[in-house]
Amino acid sequence: MIKVDHLYKSFGNNEVLSDISLEINKGDVVAIIGPSGSGKSTLLRCINLLEVPSKGKIYIDNDDITTLNQRNVIKIREKVGMVFQHFHLFPHKTAIDNLTYAPIKVKQNSKDEAHRKAIELLKRVGLSDKADSYPSRLSGGQKQRVAIARALAMDPQYLLFDEPTSALDPEMVKEVLDVMMSLAKQGMTMAVVTHEMGFAKMVADKVIFMDHGQILEVAPPNEFFSHPETDRAKEFLEKVL
Amino acid sequence: MGIFSGFSLIASSIPYIINGVWTTLEIALVSAIIGFVLGVILSLFKIGNIKILAWMSDFYTSIFRGTPLILQLTLVYFATPQLIGYDISAFLAAIITFGFNSGAYMSEIIRSGINAVDKGQFEAAGALGVPYWSMMKDIILPQAIKKILPAMMNEFITLTKESAIVSTIGVLDLMRRAQVVAAENSLYFPPLIVSFAIYYVLVMILTILGRLFERRMSRSD
Repeated sequence: MIKVDHLYKSFGNNEVLSDISLEINKGDVVAIIGPSGSGKSTLLRCINLLEVPSKGKIYIDNDDITTLNQRNVIKIREKVGMVFQHFHLFPHKTAIDNLTYAPIKVKQNSKDEAHRKAIELLKRVGLSDKADSYPSRLSGGQKQRVAIARALAMDPQYLLFDEPTSALDPEMVKEVLDVMMSLAKQGMTMAVVTHEMGFAKMVADKVIFMDHGQILEVAPPNEFFSHPETDRAKEFLEKVL
Repeated sequence: MGIFSGFSLIASSIPYIINGVWTTLEIALVSAIIGFVLGVILSLFKIGNIKILAWMSDFYTSIFRGTPLILQLTLVYFATPQLIGYDISAFLAAIITFGFNSGAYMSEIIRSGINAVDKGQFEAAGALGVPYWSMMKDIILPQAIKKILPAMMNEFITLTKESAIVSTIGVLDLMRRAQVVAAENSLYFPPLIVSFAIYYVLVMILTILGRLFERRMSRSD
């Protein structure tokens, strides 16, 4: 379980997260939505310590990760995978080497084992024929699917998605969402910052609506989308739906 | 005496001058390797979190950039015996000076290359739990070096040409050999123009090799 407890984050004098508390249970899919600049991505990045919180606690499986030293941060990151808006595949490595690098380096998997798992994961995201392609030869949608497979190669217990489809051409959004949906069905615990309201409606167990660094609403999607409680959420939904 | 008869007069010495190419290349190559290794270490210090190392690296760089190369060389060659009593050879003085000097410039080139790597690469490696040094070695430096290959080739070419300064401490490189032949025959134009031409051809060859290497390295683009 991920538990965020009264979390604050400031960049200089600019407070981007203010008193954030939330829980993500095992197997849950949580969609985090809200206008840009509302702090969604920063919240996600705090959960695997890409950003260091200014105040507050974050527990992952009951371990407070905000007090960890460098070595144990690495342990947390093995548990929590991340998928980025701009993929961030390693451009000098082929698709399969992108998948095998961290398992070999960090988890000390054998080359054969890492390779076998990578092939399987590429098949799972429908890209077994692209194993030896460099990222520059892949489309945006394919890159993102490789990036998801790369995160999965570490056997994470939680997956964070930071606007995974926002940098994609419209016709490629579906192939990525399909992969995410099948992950959700298989019980992966996911936190997804997204502008895809359709995905949030269909897949999420819980919608978190954020604005100005605060969580304004937490509700199941059918409730949130049909009866938003706050004016800000109503306004936001009118604009995006 | 005409120009061409001058060439025929030193004809037998031309191979002697040409063979200076090996000395020149040896100095450039060994210095480049020292410079590269030093440059990588210094650049990592410069971008790292340890303030004192970053400060020392910046100071090191400013020393070598802030003084004339020929003075650095003279100092190493003539002052070392007096300071520590070690009778340093001209060749050793040359590669130490050029290697250390090149390290200063190389560290700036490599640092700019590291800074040019997308910040997302650091984050992606970090999010996968890759330790800092592995990330630098396997993910960041390979991309950084690819970006700075032209600048590094440039540095190597500069090194090759600037190595002519070692003639001032008596190393028998291309330049020095041309001067020796000139002095023996009291004839300046032919031997100097021979070494002139060899430097030029050498640099052209290095330029072409550099381009071929760059093309090979850009396979993944």
